[in-house]
Amino acid sequence: MWYREFFPRSRPRAVRGGIKAQSKRGTFGQNWWAQRWIAVLESFNIGARLGRGRSYARNGQVLSIDVTEGKVKAQVQGSRPKPYAVTIAVTQLSAKQWNEVVQALAQQALFTAKLLAGEMPQDIEQVFQDIGLSLFPQKSDDLVTDCSCPDWSNPCKHVAAVYYLLGEEFDRDPFLLFRLRGLGRDELLQRLSRAAPPSPQPSSEQGLQESAREQTGPLPVEPAVFWASAALPDDAFGNVSPPPVSGAWLRRLGGFPFWRGETRLQDALGPVYEAASARGLQAFLGERPEDTQSNDRRTSPR
Amino acid sequence: MIILHASADKGALLLWGETASSASGVRRRQKTVPVSPTNAGAARVASALAEVVPQVALHDSPIETRILWLPSVQTQPIPSSPLVGPPPEGKTPPTLMPWNITALRLSAQQAVDLLSACVGRDTLGPGLVIGISLAYWVHVLRFAGALTAREQFLPALRADGEGYRACWQPVWSGGDDPCLRQLADLMPPACRAFGTADAPPDLSALAAVTAVVENLVDALVRSAVALPASAALMEPAAVSRARRVVRKASAFASIHDAWLHALRSADGRLSGDAAAARQLAEQIQAWQRPVLLTTAAPFRLCFRLEEPPDNDDATEADIAAPGDWYVRYLLQGREDPSLLLPVADAWAPKGRIAALLRKSAFEAREYLLTALGQAAGLCPAVEASLKSAAPGGYHTDASGAHAFLTETAWLLEQAGFGVLLPSWWMRGGTRQRLTVRANVKSSAMSGGSGMSLEEIVHFDWQVALGDQLLSLRELETLARLKAPLVRVRGQWVQVSAEEIRAALDLWKKKGENQATVRQLVRLALGADDGPAGLEVHGVQADGWIGELLEHLDGKAAFAELAAPTGFHGTLRPYQTRGYSWLAFLRRWGFGACLADDMGLGKTIQTLALLQREREAGERRPALLVCPTSVVGNWKKEAERFTPALSVLVHHGAERLKGTGFVKKAKDHALVLSSYALLHRDRAILEKVDWSGVILDEAQNIKNPETKQSQAARALRADYRIALTGTPVENHVGDLWSIGEFLNPGFLGTRADFRRRFFIPIQANRDPEAAARLKRLTGPFLLRRLKTDKSIIADLPDKLEMKVFCNLTREQASLYAAVVDEASRAIDEAEGIQRKGLVLGTLMKLKQVCNHPAHFLGDHSPLPGRSGKLARLTEMLEEVLETGDRALIFTQFTDMGDLLQRYLQETFGRQVLYLHGGVSAKQRQRMVERFQNDPQGPRLFLLSLKAGGTGLNLTAAQHVFHFDRWWNPAVENQATDRAFRIGQTRNVQVHKFLCIGTLEEKIDEMIERKKEVASRVVGAGEGWLTELSNDQLKELFALRQEAIGD
Repeated sequence: MWYREFFPRSRPRAVRGGIKAQSKRGTFGQNWWAQRWIAVLESFNIGARLGRGRSYARNGQVLSIDVTEGKVKAQVQGSRPKPYAVTIAVTQLSAKQWNEVVQALAQQALFTAKLLAGEMPQDIEQVFQDIGLSLFPQKSDDLVTDCSCPDWSNPCKHVAAVYYLLGEEFDRDPFLLFRLRGLGRDELLQRLSRAAPPSPQPSSEQGLQESAREQTGPLPVEPAVFWASAALPDDAFGNVSPPPVSGAWLRRLGGFPFWRGETRLQDALGPVYEAASARGLQAFLGERPEDTQSNDRRTSPR
Repeated sequence: MIILHASADKGALLLWGETASSASGVRRRQKTVPVSPTNAGAARVASALAEVVPQVALHDSPIETRILWLPSVQTQPIPSSPLVGPPPEGKTPPTLMPWNITALRLSAQQAVDLLSACVGRDTLGPGLVIGISLAYWVHVLRFAGALTAREQFLPALRADGEGYRACWQPVWSGGDDPCLRQLADLMPPACRAFGTADAPPDLSALAAVTAVVENLVDALVRSAVALPASAALMEPAAVSRARRVVRKASAFASIHDAWLHALRSADGRLSGDAAAARQLAEQIQAWQRPVLLTTAAPFRLCFRLEEPPDNDDATEADIAAPGDWYVRYLLQGREDPSLLLPVADAWAPKGRIAALLRKSAFEAREYLLTALGQAAGLCPAVEASLKSAAPGGYHTDASGAHAFLTETAWLLEQAGFGVLLPSWWMRGGTRQRLTVRANVKSSAMSGGSGMSLEEIVHFDWQVALGDQLLSLRELETLARLKAPLVRVRGQWVQVSAEEIRAALDLWKKKGENQATVRQLVRLALGADDGPAGLEVHGVQADGWIGELLEHLDGKAAFAELAAPTGFHGTLRPYQTRGYSWLAFLRRWGFGACLADDMGLGKTIQTLALLQREREAGERRPALLVCPTSVVGNWKKEAERFTPALSVLVHHGAERLKGTGFVKKAKDHALVLSSYALLHRDRAILEKVDWSGVILDEAQNIKNPETKQSQAARALRADYRIALTGTPVENHVGDLWSIGEFLNPGFLGTRADFRRRFFIPIQANRDPEAAARLKRLTGPFLLRRLKTDKSIIADLPDKLEMKVFCNLTREQASLYAAVVDEASRAIDEAEGIQRKGLVLGTLMKLKQVCNHPAHFLGDHSPLPGRSGKLARLTEMLEEVLETGDRALIFTQFTDMGDLLQRYLQETFGRQVLYLHGGVSAKQRQRMVERFQNDPQGPRLFLLSLKAGGTGLNLTAAQHVFHFDRWWNPAVENQATDRAFRIGQTRNVQVHKFLCIGTLEEKIDEMIERKKEVASRVVGAGEGWLTELSNDQLKELFALRQEAIGD
C-alpha cells in the first residue's frame, strides 16, 4: 500500500460545539444494528482513514448532519477554513417493496413495539431477507458517498466520521435507517398500524390539556367559601418513596438526538435525579436541607 | 397582627399581608381602585418576616402594586379571619370588589424556603399568622416534593418573553394527575384573586396550581444540584462570580452544553442564538414525545400479576411452589382507574370494548405498541411476549413472579405504568416471612440480687413462619423447592436461599448461642435483627428473664408498690400504677417517658419515685431540668408532697458556680435547674454523679442537634426519666431525640431511625414500620389520657390545681417599689383613705404579678416579662395540641385585652373574649361557637364579672384563673361555668399564683382556715382592709424565693 499517506498528514482545525461521538473508545454504537451499519463502512477497506474518521467523530469535527429520505448531508471541519460537504446517498426501496416489508412486519406486534420504543427488532434482517431485500446497504451500488475534500479516496475520513456518527444515531433512533431507505417514521407506523392516524403532535396535546385547565368560573363571593379550603386527606400524595432505581424516565426515553454536549446526557443528569429525589423527600416531609445534611446519604451533585 | 397570604400570578407566588382595617370606610369613586384598608403593605410584611425567617431573604424581593378582588361590603373588604376584624354586621350581601394592595414577588426558591418554614405551624412568629391561602401552598409544596422525590420530572426548555429558559418539568403520569386535580379543587379562591381594575380574576384553579407546582419542582431540583453554590450565595462576591459564570455562557462548546449548564444555574437562562435555541426546543420535544404520547392517553397500560389457581389438595401439599403465574396486560382508565380492559381484547376490539375505546377517541393499537415497546425495555419477559400478533400477557414461574414483585413492578410503576399486585404482597415483601425466635434455657438464677441486664445466658434459635414453628423437615422441603415464592399452608411466603441456609444453620448450632440479657431485651423488642437478617419474632424465656420480658411487653401487670412512707399525700390508683412502672424501669436502669395528659399528676408520680429511691438508700442527688416557668412549681410541690427531700434550686444569677455547686449538690436529694442552664452550666452539671436525670417538658429536647439536647444526653446517671404532656407518639420525628436520651442506642443512629421509621411512617405511611416503632418504644412510654375510662373513674369531676409561678426580675423590682410606697403611706393613712390605699395597693400588686405592662398600662411588648404569662402560654399550647378547649378567667378587663392580643398573636387562632362591653347577642354567638362549632375557637377569655353567671360552657376541659379573687365563692361560681352536673368528662381547674407574693400568702391564709375564710371573706376583698398595718406589711412583703430568673 505504497500510496498510504501520500499527502502529508494535516491537522484539522479545532471545532467547538461540533457533534461529538458518545463513545470514547472501542466500537461505535452499542446496538447490533448500529454495529451492523458500521460493518458496511468497514468492509470498504480504506485503511487508516477509518481510524482518523473515528477520531474526527470523537473530537466533534462534524458540524451538522441532516438526514432526509435516501440522503445524508453533512458538514465536516477539516484542515481548510471552509468545512467540507459530505453526502451519503442510499438506494431507496420502491413503494411495492415497502408494501411487502410492511406486510411482513405486521405479523408480529414485537416489530412495531420495539421500533416505537427506539429499538431495532433482532429478527428484522430476516424479515427483509425472506422477501429478497436488505435493510442495510449491501452492494457498493447501494451506497454512494461523496466529499468536497481533496483526498481522492472515497470514502474519505470525513465520510467515515459522518458514517460513525450516523451509526450512533441509529442506536437511538432506528427509524433513521428506514428513512434513509425511503420511508419516514410516521408513514411507516401509519402503515404498520393499518392506516391509523399519525400519532398526536406534542403541541396539539398540550393544547388539549391547556383548554381543560383554562375553564374558569367567577370566584365565589361568600367569604366562608372564598377564604376556605377543605381538608386534604392524609394520604393525598400516595406513597412517597425515592425510587430504588434512579432515573426511570430518562431510561424510558433513551438517548438524545444528535447530542453534542461534552458529557453524555445520562451521565450529566443521572446524579441530578438522585440529589433532587433526596431534596424532594425533604420538602415533602417539611425538613430543611440543613436538618438532615449531617447524616444523610447525599450524592454529590457532580 | 398580620395574616400572611399568597396568591398565584401565573407560576409565581405573591405574598401579601392582611391586617386590621386602618379606616372605617373608603369612599369609592368611579374608575379608580382604592387602596385596601386591610392591606398590611409589602414593606411591613418583608421586615416582619426578615426577623423570623431570615433564610428566605425577602429584603430584595420586588414589591408590586396589584389589584386583588375580595368579597366586600360597600366600603370594606371582609376580613379573612376574626383575628383582623369582626365579620360585617347588617344584611348587605357581599360582592367581589377590586382593591389595590402591595405584594412581594417570591422567586420559586424563596417560595420553597418560605413554605418549608410554614410546615406544621399556625404562625411564623408572634403576630404573623399563616393565612388559609398561604397554608394551601404549603400542601402544594409537599406535593411538588412528592413528585420530585419520585423523580417524576424531566429537563425541558421553555420560551418566555425574554428568550429561552431551561427548566425541570413535572411529568404527569399515573396517580399524580388526579392528585393535581384534587389539589385544584381544594384551592381557596383567595389563592387566585388577582385581577385588573375592570376584569375580575380569570385564572382557573387548575392552571394556577399546575404552574406553581411546575415552578416549585424546578426550584427543588435546582436547589438540589446547586447546593454548594447556594452556601456561597451569602457573600456578594460569590454572587457576582456566579453571574460572571452565567454570562460566559456564550463560550459553551455547543447548545447542548449551554442547556446542561442552564439546567443547573440559578435562573436557567439559556444563552446563545435564538435559532439554535428554537431548534433545541424542537429536539427536546421530539425526544420526549413517547412520554407525551403515553401520559396524554385516556388509558394507561397496566400489569397485573395473577397467582396460580388454588386447586392444590390442601392435605397433600402443605408446602409447594406452583409455577403457573401470569402477568396480564390491561388498559386502565385514567379517569376511572377501576375500569380495566384486558389488552388481549383491545387489539381487535369488538362490541362493548370497541365502543368504549371509540368513545374516548383512543387509538389503542398504536398506544399499546408504543407502551409495550417501552415496557419491553424495562422487562425482558414483556419483550418475549411481543412475538405474537396480539399479546395479552405472559406466563412465568415462581422466580419470574418474584422478580416481577421485587424489581419489575417498581420500574414499571416508576416509568408511569400501572401495576396491580396480589394483596398479600405489601411493601416489598409477603405478609408472612420466615422469622426466628430465641428460646432461653431456664436461667439458673431465680430472683436474688444477681439479676442483671449484663448476665450472660444460653439460648437456642427456633425458626417459625407466622405463629407456627417450622420443623427441620419442613425447612428441608423449602430448601429443596429452591423457589423464592412458596405456598405454605395456603399462604404465600417469600423466602430467599440465604434465609433458608441461615435457618438450617441455626438448627445445627443448637445450644451454642449466648447473649446478655440486655441483648435479649433488644432482640425481643425488635431493636436488632436476627442472624442473616431474619426478623426476630419474640424471645421465649422463663424465670426472671421471662418475667422481665413480659412486663416490658405489657403482658404482665406490675406488682403495685405502696407509696413510700415519707410521701405526704395520696396517690390515685392510676398514679400508683405509674409510679410502680417508673420504679420497675428504674430497677433495670431503663429510661422512662411518662407522657400522661396535663393535670394527671406527672409531678407527684415522679416525686414518689424520688422519695422511694431515698428511702432505699440512695445518697446521690437527682437532677431535674424543666422550663424556667415551672422551677418554682416543682419546688412547691416537692415541699408539699416530699418534705423530706432536700431541694437545691440551681437557677438565677446568684446560683453556685464551679466546685461550690458540685459540693452543694451532693448534700441534696434533688437539684432543680432549667433548660437554658443545661447547656450553659454543662461543665459543672457533668461533674456531678447523678443518681438520675429527669427532664420535665421533655419536648424541649425534641431537636437532637440543639445544645441543650446534646448536654442532656451527655449527663451521667443510673436512670433517666422524661416527662411530657404532649402526644409524643404523634411526632415520629421527635421521638428519636427523647428516645436516645432515655435509652441510648435503642433506636439506632439518627440516620438509621430516619431510614427505618421516620421516612416509612411519614412518607409511606407504612403500618408495619409504625408497629415496629411502637413495639420498640412502647415499653418505655406511658401515656394516659384524662378521657381513658379507667382514669376517669379515678378522678374527681373537678380537679383543682395550683400553678405556682415566679416573678421576673422586672416584676420583682416593680413589686418592691409598690410595696415601699405603700408601707410609707399606710402609717399616715386612716379611715376611708386607708381602706382605699390598701385596696389600691392590693390591686397594683396583683397587676404587677400579672404583667408589668398591665401595671404600667404602657402598651409595651409582652413576651418574656411575666412568669405567669409564660406558664399560661406553655399550658395552653398543650391544651391546643391535645385538641382540648379552655376557659381563662381574669378579673381585670385590661389584662383580658392584653391576653387576647397576646394569645391570638402567639397561636394565630381566634381567642374569644367576653367582658362587660359585649352585647347580649354577641355573647350568645360566642357561647354558641365555643360550645358547638368543631372548627370554632378553643380558647375563651372571660372577665370574672361578665362571665361569672348565666353561662353554660361545658365544652371546656380546662379552666384557668389567671389572677386570684380572694373570695373562693366567686371563683367557684366561675369554675362552674365549665362544670355541670351529669357531665361525662372531668374539668381541670388551674389557679395561677406567684410564689413569695401576696397572692401566695393570701392563698395560704385561705387554705389554713378554709371554713373561717368563707365566712370572713364575705362577698369581696374588703376583709383585707381590716388587717393591722403590721399584718399588711407582712402580707405585702416580697419573699426572696419569688424571683425566677
